Amino acid sequence: MNTPNSDDVLLSVKNIVKNFPISGGFLSREVASVKAVSGVSFDIRKGETLGLVGESGCGKSTLGRCLLRLIEPTEGEIIFKGQNITRLGPSELRRLRRNMQIIFQDPYASLNPRMTVETILAEPLEIHKIGRDRHERQQKIFKLLDLCGLRREVMGRYPHEFSGGQRQRICIARALSVEPEFIVCDEAVSALDVSIQAQIVNLMQDLQKELGLTYLFIAHDLKVVEHISTRVAVMYLGKVVEMATAEELYGNPKHPYTRALLSAIPIPDPTYKKERVILRGDVPSPINPPKGCHFHPRCPVVQDNCKVAAPKLKDTGEKSPNRHDVSCHYVDV
Amino acid sequence: MAVASETQSVEKILEIKNLKTSFFSDEGEVRAVDDVSFNVFKGRTLGIVGESGCGKSVTSLSIMRLIPDPPGRIVGGEILYQGKDLLKLDLASMRAIRGNKISMIFQEPMTSLNPVFTIGNQIREAIGLHQNLSRKDIQDKAVEMIQLVGIPSPEKRVSDYPHQLSGGMRQRVMIAMALSCNPHVLIADEPTTALDVTIQAQILELLQKLQQKVGMGLILITHDLGVVSEVADEVVVMYAGRVVEQGSVAEIFKHPKMPYTRGLLNSIPTLSKDPTGKIKKKRLETIPGIVPNMLHLPQGCRFQDRCTYVLDSCREREPELRIIAQDSEMPHAIRCARDI
Repeated sequence: MNTPNSDDVLLSVKNIVKNFPISGGFLSREVASVKAVSGVSFDIRKGETLGLVGESGCGKSTLGRCLLRLIEPTEGEIIFKGQNITRLGPSELRRLRRNMQIIFQDPYASLNPRMTVETILAEPLEIHKIGRDRHERQQKIFKLLDLCGLRREVMGRYPHEFSGGQRQRICIARALSVEPEFIVCDEAVSALDVSIQAQIVNLMQDLQKELGLTYLFIAHDLKVVEHISTRVAVMYLGKVVEMATAEELYGNPKHPYTRALLSAIPIPDPTYKKERVILRGDVPSPINPPKGCHFHPRCPVVQDNCKVAAPKLKDTGEKSPNRHDVSCHYVDV
Repeated sequence: MAVASETQSVEKILEIKNLKTSFFSDEGEVRAVDDVSFNVFKGRTLGIVGESGCGKSVTSLSIMRLIPDPPGRIVGGEILYQGKDLLKLDLASMRAIRGNKISMIFQEPMTSLNPVFTIGNQIREAIGLHQNLSRKDIQDKAVEMIQLVGIPSPEKRVSDYPHQLSGGMRQRVMIAMALSCNPHVLIADEPTTALDVTIQAQILELLQKLQQKVGMGLILITHDLGVVSEVADEVVVMYAGRVVEQGSVAEIFKHPKMPYTRGLLNSIPTLSKDPTGKIKKKRLETIPGIVPNMLHLPQGCRFQDRCTYVLDSCREREPELRIIAQDSEMPHAIRCARDI
């Protein structure tokens, strides 16, 4: 994993910005905007899992949806397999979506309650004209069910007959039905109980190995993200503040926000008493983000400079072969 | 958070004995809480853990006597508070205790606050109902409570509506309301589940600080074992309506004996730079299968289908909760036939 070679980059985003307008007043003019994502760039390599963590409202889900153009980015470029997809028309976009899929947090809400498992899984196959006839599609559905650890008898059942974990398996099967290369997992295991969560995480890792999938794994659970990710990006108020390999980021966090976030994870061992960095206050409103470094009002090591100048994301891992990007003026290297 | 020193005996403030709560549907009776007993001690924290549907929330609602009837009903057991059985009280006396001596905070701070009243109004209501104070004293007390839970500029905030506050702030308001009458017991049902980790850390720190200040007994219901190990003194692990393991935090986390508790602890991913020196797992251990249907519970142990240590006898007879170590106020007990 040295300098990224242009061949193994599957998806790269350049300077993505997304502002949601807020209209108000007479004539509903645009009075302000929610700056959900403000200038994010990174590459995702083939076969890797990029973890994206941050607190609610930091823009991680918006970013994930922008990558698939489920939300139109305000600015910036998305390059998927060498093709700029930022301006593709609807029909080209539909063809492209065969290659990129998404799994949502809430398997209860993302399955149509009136459709059986069979129709849920057959729909994408029909839309993308995969399989010649019904029989062939059915064989394909059997394969998907086997792959995702569901019994074949479940074909005729409705979503309400399943538990949360099984529903998430159905969602995964649906995403895989069109044989994508890239899957955005937006809090895909967050709603599940730990024992079920472990089953789904293992399933996702097995599928990645078997099918060579690439994941963008969005979650707020830092433990799960470390477990599944090759590299991790930490977001705060619309910006990536730190990005490195999972091992490096968790072992040697450099940004004060990452440090606070990691120290806030409860450790299941009562004998261990740790020192906590408890951040004061809440995340500021993305309508009116603070000037300078977005993190400065909560930062435990804030300096005067931070209140004026916004730091840039730069590589601080000179000595190691892997990059370690941090956006902070005062990184003690 | 053991405030009481070990030599001094700890005071029981709430005793739950053989509590049974069922829900009645067309398809039959669901025994959501089936013969659950535990004690809550003054100034200490009891953690109740388990996965969704294990009966932990129904237990807490039963203590508050807030089970919707129909379809639910407390069908047996005793809840002893100051020598009185709460289940035998009439509604008026129960109302005098609920929210006053025993209060509760819920998981969803968004839905548990009334959106059309200011937070001050809602806190004043709680105080006014239970304490005989003048209007001005009630107002002062409300501001004091908002300050106590760490909301900045309380005089101004008191006239805010819930939608003007963030999730963490709303949960603080819930805590302010619950603590406004100096309860002896506070039940916190997943108080931090809807919150981000940094806000969770703030809220847990606040609960611990307030507990030390007023010496109340805290029942913390959660599915997060990390939170339990950091905050609780005693733990009760529930599975399918039953207590399957209980004991002191130190004991349960160091020597979990029930296969289900072990499975739960093992299925959490560990951090690679885990300060406890555990080695990161390449693959997560899982508990196979899913929780049994509460309408059709298997004969024998309720965990049998997911258990790797299952014996033939487990399928015939359900083991009793048996004490395996008399090490603390809450002896280590398991509901398992095996010694593993």
